Amino acid sequence: MRRRSAGAPAPAPAAALAALAVLAACARSAPPPAPSPAPPPAGARLGVLAPAAAETLARLGAAERVVAVGDWVTWPPELAARPRLGSYDAPSAERLLELGVDTLITTASAAGRAERAELARLGIEVVELDTETFEGTLAAIAELGRRVGREAAAEALVEEIRARLDGIARRVAGARRPRVLVAVGREPLYAAGPGSHLDELVRLAGGENVVADAGAPWAMVSLESVLARRPEVVLDSADNRPGAARGALPGEWARWPFLPAVRDGRVYHIDPARLSVPGPRLPEMAELVARLLHPEIFGPPRASDFGPPLAGEAR
Amino acid sequence: MRAERGPLDRRRFALALGGGALVLALALAAGAGLGAAGAGFGALAPDAPAAARAILWDVRLPRVLSAAALGAALALAGVAFQALLRNPLADPYVLGVSGGASLGGVLALAAGLPAAGLPVTAFLGALAALAGLERIATVAGRLDVLTLLLTGAVFNATTAAAIVIVQTVASREELHALVFYLLGRVPALPGAALGALSLAAAGVAVLLFARGRSLNALALGEEGALQVGVEVESVKRQVFVAGALLTALAVSWAGLVGFVGLVVPHAVRRLAGPDHRLLAPLSALVGAAFLVVADLVARVVVAPRELPVGAVTALVGGPFFLVVLRHRRGRGDG
Repeated sequence: MRRRSAGAPAPAPAAALAALAVLAACARSAPPPAPSPAPPPAGARLGVLAPAAAETLARLGAAERVVAVGDWVTWPPELAARPRLGSYDAPSAERLLELGVDTLITTASAAGRAERAELARLGIEVVELDTETFEGTLAAIAELGRRVGREAAAEALVEEIRARLDGIARRVAGARRPRVLVAVGREPLYAAGPGSHLDELVRLAGGENVVADAGAPWAMVSLESVLARRPEVVLDSADNRPGAARGALPGEWARWPFLPAVRDGRVYHIDPARLSVPGPRLPEMAELVARLLHPEIFGPPRASDFGPPLAGEAR
Repeated sequence: MRAERGPLDRRRFALALGGGALVLALALAAGAGLGAAGAGFGALAPDAPAAARAILWDVRLPRVLSAAALGAALALAGVAFQALLRNPLADPYVLGVSGGASLGGVLALAAGLPAAGLPVTAFLGALAALAGLERIATVAGRLDVLTLLLTGAVFNATTAAAIVIVQTVASREELHALVFYLLGRVPALPGAALGALSLAAAGVAVLLFARGRSLNALALGEEGALQVGVEVESVKRQVFVAGALLTALAVSWAGLVGFVGLVVPHAVRRLAGPDHRLLAPLSALVGAAFLVVADLVARVVVAPRELPVGAVTALVGGPFFLVVLRHRRGRGDG
């Protein structure tokens, strides 16, 4: 989310500088690529930039195929500890070659197109996955399953996710749909709009996104519009600092006591790690959002819904 | 001897400032009355809903006033630097103060300081850049304009590179805030910041007014100004510090909002003449109105989304700048 919105396309000299800086950092801090005790099996040697893909591969039991990860991969711990490839959209080509990566898993974006052409020239296949929407995420899981020869496991995972999501959708059918704001950034206020998995989560879990007309998955939205639309539930996952306050707290929203969400104590501060990576954890995310939107159906939210970060997550 | 060297035409002065104040009042009314959540002043009714009142008083008004103060500060900074560099197309950002401010902000974010501390560190960065620039550009006890310009350009390039390196190596998600910071947007400034910015802008307007005759003389050339008794170095230094301070404050709180300092003084000069005693206060009023309207456009044109106001001012200012440049070159005096 933030990572995407922050990914302004870097001009070529800036990208070169960035690559240099990453190389310098790697030379300083990364452990030497020691001979791993169990060498990866024959087949794809994956570099993974997309956090959702890293989670999926671990879930499919293919973590050993991953030889390197991007800076945004912070979970699961075994993959977060892999050699680093550099920033989200500007992987270091030398590092990829040095580590013998033959397939780079990334998210579909226009930002890295030039780099991708360059990597193709070097013989590194770039696989772009849509990890913004439910359908894209499920397709990505299937695609990753094919890539690592775990088609059956991937298919079973996709089916399981579908079944759990459908189950939630069935239980909220007919329930009154509260107006919901999902804040993903403050100062300026950024909200999840149509085309984001968060918008889909809200709709699936029986809510109406108050900025459903924002026209973009991650939108800088007008505060006065949000106030005028009087959200009944605010899901605030804008603060990713480790010590940030979590739970049912008004926080900065207390400035607007007339908002139904503030009045009714339904402003929830949630660790972004719980919501921001649409992958194998989609059902858990949907169940979490469903508890917050419809406690009368799913039971009250639990303290563990809001944080702390996932066990062992690298920060 | 041009008119701007003689006594001020009080009637013309009052008329022009009155016109400027009227334009600003209209802009403020439009800014407060229009918005993404709807038009009108229904919130003033005694039985208005709490949400409507909050939208007017707590959301729109702070933002409109912030835009006005920022616009005045940027326009005055433009007047100051254009007088200093004797080029009506001089850009306040050219001096590298913005680079220092943004570097200060990035370092604070990379160090994990809370976002609220960002304007403070950005301001410190701007001041450091200002001090460094003045030191380097002072040649044999005099502020050398060419050295100043070159130093500013090189300083901007260097800080930009430093920022890229910090962003890449640190790769903390907090850095996303900086992207918006650098994009340029009008925040709803807290009262203390708004007061400080307004006071600083008013002080600089008074300074430029008081030094107006010296600046008018300076505009015709340093030697001529020396001959008519202007203490050139002292005036230049005062104007430099004043303009850089306003730029630093504006950048610290709004990020990079470009072209206000370029477009406004230039347009005012075309309408009201080059006398700095009128140019400075009138530019402040028009600059305030300009940024209020630009921010109004940014707030409503893609509602419920918002645009960064820096994009709006650049879309207006860029073409304006090019037209003026072409016109001046056509006349052969650019």
